Amino acid sequence: MLVREIMHRNPITASPDLSLQDAYRLMNDRNIRHLPVLREGRLVGLVTDRDLRLATSSLATRPFPPSATVGEVMKSPVTTADPLDPVEVAAHTMRELKIGCMPVLEEDALVGIFTGIDLLDAMIRLTGVHRPSGRLEVSLADRPGELARLTGLLSERDVNIQSILSYPDESGNLRLVLRVASIETRPLAEALCKAGITIVWPQQRSCR
Amino acid sequence: MPVVLYHPEYGAYAFDADHPFSPLRIEMVLDLLHEAGVPVELVAPESATQDELATVHDSAYLGAVADVSRSPADPRFEYGLGTQDNPMKAGMDLGAARIAGGTLTGARMIAEGKASKVLQMGGGLHHARAALASGFCLFNDLAIAIRDLTSRGLHVAYLDVDVHHGDGVQSIFFDDDHVLTLSLHESGEYLFPGSGWTHELGRGMGRGFKLNVPLEPFTEGDNYLEVLDMVAQPALEYFRPDVLVVQAGADAHFADPLADLLLTTQTYEALFRRILTYADRFSAGRLLLTLGGGYSLEATPRIWTILYLVLFGYPIFENLPAAWIERWRKELGPDPPRTLHDPPHPYETIPRREEINRHNRLMAQRLLDAVSMLWL
Ligand SMILES: [Zn+2]
Repeated sequence: MLVREIMHRNPITASPDLSLQDAYRLMNDRNIRHLPVLREGRLVGLVTDRDLRLATSSLATRPFPPSATVGEVMKSPVTTADPLDPVEVAAHTMRELKIGCMPVLEEDALVGIFTGIDLLDAMIRLTGVHRPSGRLEVSLADRPGELARLTGLLSERDVNIQSILSYPDESGNLRLVLRVASIETRPLAEALCKAGITIVWPQQRSCR
Repeated sequence: MPVVLYHPEYGAYAFDADHPFSPLRIEMVLDLLHEAGVPVELVAPESATQDELATVHDSAYLGAVADVSRSPADPRFEYGLGTQDNPMKAGMDLGAARIAGGTLTGARMIAEGKASKVLQMGGGLHHARAALASGFCLFNDLAIAIRDLTSRGLHVAYLDVDVHHGDGVQSIFFDDDHVLTLSLHESGEYLFPGSGWTHELGRGMGRGFKLNVPLEPFTEGDNYLEVLDMVAQPALEYFRPDVLVVQAGADAHFADPLADLLLTTQTYEALFRRILTYADRFSAGRLLLTLGGGYSLEATPRIWTILYLVLFGYPIFENLPAAWIERWRKELGPDPPRTLHDPPHPYETIPRREEINRHNRLMAQRLLDAVSMLWL
């Protein structure tokens, strides 16, 4: 899944000369938390609702007045993403830098924006639960060919795989969570078990 | 007297011989009632017409179903037709339309005051979507019947006790405030179709009218009935339906091969008695019951026989007739049941029982907290 599949196109932007007061109103009216700042069509900064609140807070050492401009408080330079970046790379970047959104640039032009919420939507889609499906959880030895053997067994049985999630478990095996387009995950698990695959869910009493 | 709907053509809605959704389940119920000397009078419904099916299903989908029913060798995967779960056979659409006609007939009889309680001896195909066959379900007979009731201005409460989430019915009425849906099911984390979370509350006008209680695997009967009461009573009291429609799937039984809940036949008897009480208290006795899932050929016929006896107020007989056991020996397996009810302590004690019970209560409470802001 790529950034261009989850980003919002035509983002709402601000100019550096916009007052903090107007920027605040714009965010409220449009129900957004992040404003990319453009000067002559080029991205020069980013301002968030948190930046505005901190800058104008009476608790700040030297609070900015509402008439101050976005250019004075914006963060710059901005970490951006490419439309063709994989979403997991974008998620990794946002997590490392502890940032809440990324503007998306194509060449130098701003073409989109996405936030942590859009990544959560992506995660929901990646797990495949938006379509009716049954869950199958298996443990595989972490070596070449194991996943191919599993998917081969599923394909022999005409079972359509809607999603596969994988992560290493404590014992160094590869844990796989598959969403398959079938209500009959139990007979399926039994068949896989008989073929020597370790089934974590659905629980097998025995497959001998 | 309750009306019972059945037509031999329901049997045309059958997949391969070893497919779990077997029409034998209903034959076994009718034969058991007959052998036990219980009076049975069946009313044969008409088929649903294309126009009636189209009150719920997209016309492109209906066209694809007709095509694939004529030439089953050409599957239409984009509509879920001809997949592993929904293999297609010639003439299947006729069986499915007859079943939809049965549930629809039940709804009409209730709406027109010709009956107050109806048992549809089939149907309950709750996974079918407007344009998708899913989980053994081709036409959503429940939704077609409910649509008929709401088109007359009636308010319908739909209770789904099948072990799987009633996702098709919920999705079709997701933004409709004339239909309250309540589904109790094994959590989508563990079981098909993967949905039915407490946060699925409906959309637009329908918000607050779609209720889900996802249950832990190995949930037992007492806890099931407890959380059902926690949610169903306030929901029905708030909603005050004109008609209660119930999908009475039997696959939450401990012997079911497709799921992990641990209801017993005793739980089911108590559950069916509760459903009658709900209908009497909240929908002026108007109740439309369908069957549904239930894939243990040993347990399912006993559960639906109990449903029939409870509905008619007949006594629950104890011993299964020998002739019935003999006739269905192959289906009943190597160790056939001897009694209508399960024996005492039929499964091993569940070590995590308290944790499971607590978790299920928490789910019910979380749901009630979420809707309390919407029920004003
Ligand atoms: Zn079911």
